[in-house]
Amino acid sequence: MAGQKLYPRATVKKIVKAHSNRNLTKNADVMIFLDYMLFMQTLMKEAAVEAKKGGERSVTARSVKKVTADALAKFRG
Amino acid sequence: MTSTSRIPIPTTATPTRYASGAEPFSTTPTAAAAAISIAARRSILLRTPGSQARGRLSTAATPHARAAQRAIDSRRAALLTPHRARRRSVREVRDSPRDFLLNLGRVLARTTQPITTSSSASSTTSSPAAAGRDGDGSDDEPTLGRIRTRPGEDDDDDDEALPKRPRLSLPIADEDEDGSIGSDELRPHRSVLIDDDNNFTMDMELPRREVAGGQDRFSLGSARMSDYFATHDMLHSEDVGVDSGFFPPRGMLEDAAAGMTIEVGEDLASPERLDVEPDQRNRDSDFAFEVPLGEVNESTFVMAPEVQESPDRTAAPIEDDEPIPEADGGFAPLMDQRSDDFDIDQDLGPVPALDDEPEPDMTRNTAWTEGESMISAMRSSIRGLPKKTIRISKHGIEYPSLPASMVKRLAQNFAKASGINGNITPDALRVIMQASDWFFEQLGDDLAAYADHAGRKTIDESDVLTLMKRQRQINPRTTLFSLAQRHLPRELLQEVRMPPPIVPKKRRKPKGGTGDENVT
Repeated sequence: MAGQKLYPRATVKKIVKAHSNRNLTKNADVMIFLDYMLFMQTLMKEAAVEAKKGGERSVTARSVKKVTADALAKFRG
Repeated sequence: MTSTSRIPIPTTATPTRYASGAEPFSTTPTAAAAAISIAARRSILLRTPGSQARGRLSTAATPHARAAQRAIDSRRAALLTPHRARRRSVREVRDSPRDFLLNLGRVLARTTQPITTSSSASSTTSSPAAAGRDGDGSDDEPTLGRIRTRPGEDDDDDDEALPKRPRLSLPIADEDEDGSIGSDELRPHRSVLIDDDNNFTMDMELPRREVAGGQDRFSLGSARMSDYFATHDMLHSEDVGVDSGFFPPRGMLEDAAAGMTIEVGEDLASPERLDVEPDQRNRDSDFAFEVPLGEVNESTFVMAPEVQESPDRTAAPIEDDEPIPEADGGFAPLMDQRSDDFDIDQDLGPVPALDDEPEPDMTRNTAWTEGESMISAMRSSIRGLPKKTIRISKHGIEYPSLPASMVKRLAQNFAKASGINGNITPDALRVIMQASDWFFEQLGDDLAAYADHAGRKTIDESDVLTLMKRQRQINPRTTLFSLAQRHLPRELLQEVRMPPPIVPKKRRKPKGGTGDENVT
């Protein structure tokens, strides 16, 4: 782990800081990133379902757009 | 199968006799007719291999039964054919002057010397009549110009034209030149080939084979195959071993090997293909579904080293020359949305192309960024460079966006896990990035609200925990740690494990605080 970052922790921290105007504790960003991964999982899963429904072979912008609102609503706290 | 046990199968004898019987040039019309009728009857019997409800038909499918039936048929043919035809197995031999020569040889053996092959001239002079005259002493009937050892058999041959005048010797050179003359002696050899069934089938069934070739790709039980089966069985009826019906048509196997790329429309002509299709489809989809599932756990690990590079690149936001002249000095350093893309080996072909056609992307980008901040939207629209969006939160703090490479990797992994293997298009990636920006925006709002509610100035793990609970990501069955274990690499797992002792403490705080705002 020395010197190794597994995701851009600083970036995530910056983003959350900017949006919340709050500081973050040391390890909160890990959980935030975990939450983000869960969100991405949900988003991509639904986008994949949508893409399959639309007969697309890969996830396209259209399918993602369709499910973005739902996924975001699901992850509203 | 009873017939099988009952009938002794003269496997070696039957095919030759059958072939001889079915030959259209057979000596006796009765024999030919009988053989043909037998063949026709058999073809009728074997025509429908699928529907073998009738007594004898049921046995016809198995090789043994077929052999037995063949034996019966050959026997019947033998009965129907005259005695002499039955005795001589091969028709060519019957036509050929072999017996004739044999008899002649028998007659002449005492008086003449063995004939050497080279002396063709002398041998031709020995006409049957002469031979008969020579053999006067031993044999009785020289008058017909033939030599008969068995007078009783002569009835059949009387009808025929006289056999070709035999050559008693075989000049090898001549035989090569004109096959017609020399082949007389070689006929027995050819007959062996005829027994091989191939020639027989060629003679009989050429037109039908054309049809069969067209139906090559049909599957087993199809109605159309019945014709094909019939011919095939008839053709191979001598051939006990291989039933053509056992093997699926060649086209099917090929397609199965080819896998998913099959087009339905290509083979619409045959109804069977449609039946085959769904199975293969299902198999493919199963494959696609199964494989990535195993990789889910790995992917999170693999992701780590790639992601690690990105922050370094975000540190140097402006990479290309274009924005520099346009970038107003008054603004804070622009965060390049795609600065990560340039380093990563992934397909970035479309991304540079965006520089060339700024118009559509500009509009799209403004549409997206509007929700976040008006300033950045105006910025991007003014500059016409979509990738240089400045993101400033509603609190006036500008922030970077997540590295596109990481987002793409995550998205691809999750898409794979849900059964879609294709690459994520740049457009889709842009939408996903936008969605994640929105996600972080609302997450920041929520976390700030929780922290405020807790009376804290900093967001800590308990807030995130609360958020995830409210998102229904954490429930009694799914703990934070199971989620972390599933999604996070080990290094980050350790950091997640740290807080738990703290978490209950901080949970109590909001409870102790104002009870009304618990809902937020």
